Amino acid sequence: MFDAIASPVRRAILDLLSGGARPVHDVAASFAMTRPAVSQHLRVLRQAGLVAEERVGRERHYRLDARPLRTVVDWAGHYERFWQRRARLLGELLEGSD
Amino acid sequence: MAAIEVDQFVGRPAEQVWQALTDPDLLARWLMPNDFKPVAGHQFTFRTEPVSQHGFDGIVHCQVLALEPPRMLRISWRGGTLDTTVTWRLVPEGAGTRFLITHDGFDETDSAQQAAMKILGGGWRSHLVRRLLYVLGGDEGGS
Repeated sequence: MFDAIASPVRRAILDLLSGGARPVHDVAASFAMTRPAVSQHLRVLRQAGLVAEERVGRERHYRLDARPLRTVVDWAGHYERFWQRRARLLGELLEGSD
Repeated sequence: MAAIEVDQFVGRPAEQVWQALTDPDLLARWLMPNDFKPVAGHQFTFRTEPVSQHGFDGIVHCQVLALEPPRMLRISWRGGTLDTTVTWRLVPEGAGTRFLITHDGFDETDSAQQAAMKILGGGWRSHLVRRLLYVLGGDEGGS
């Protein structure tokens, strides 16, 4: 199932929702897809915690929730900084030993 | 799965950089104390400070998965919740060497993180991710 989340369509939906919450028919119109197809994609994103649903009058709007990404990015940044520091140390260690 | 990639130019020939990757004493000076041996299949550890909030006891359990002197060394890297792989590559460049680090195989147990990483698809600094974080009102979360 997680492999399915890597789908380009769902990435495009996230990109679209980053511009603001939208109802499902709006999303469907943007991608020339049927509503059931879009609903299916949104359901997968919701299960992944990346999209939240909210009621606006009689409609349901879908809103981006990028917090899980934030966690991953913070954490990836942590390891990247770790290796950057270590690689610099290696360089200093060798270049300082003439 | 997310991968972290780092690249550092070292003004020394690849053979000399290789020494720093494979001599336990040199390795300890830029990375961590260890009982490494440059032998495929060798199991060893790196020892550092524990990080209790991440369930990390300060010991990184490793195994030499592949080595091609003086070009490539790949080790498993397990500690705390991590079960990952680190690959070091050396590419001669002029009078020096480019040192390339790939740390990959991240697979967190938290389903939202796992899903997010699938979306990142190894490109956590992608245009989309930057935009999403901008929407969240934060910076990129790293350099």
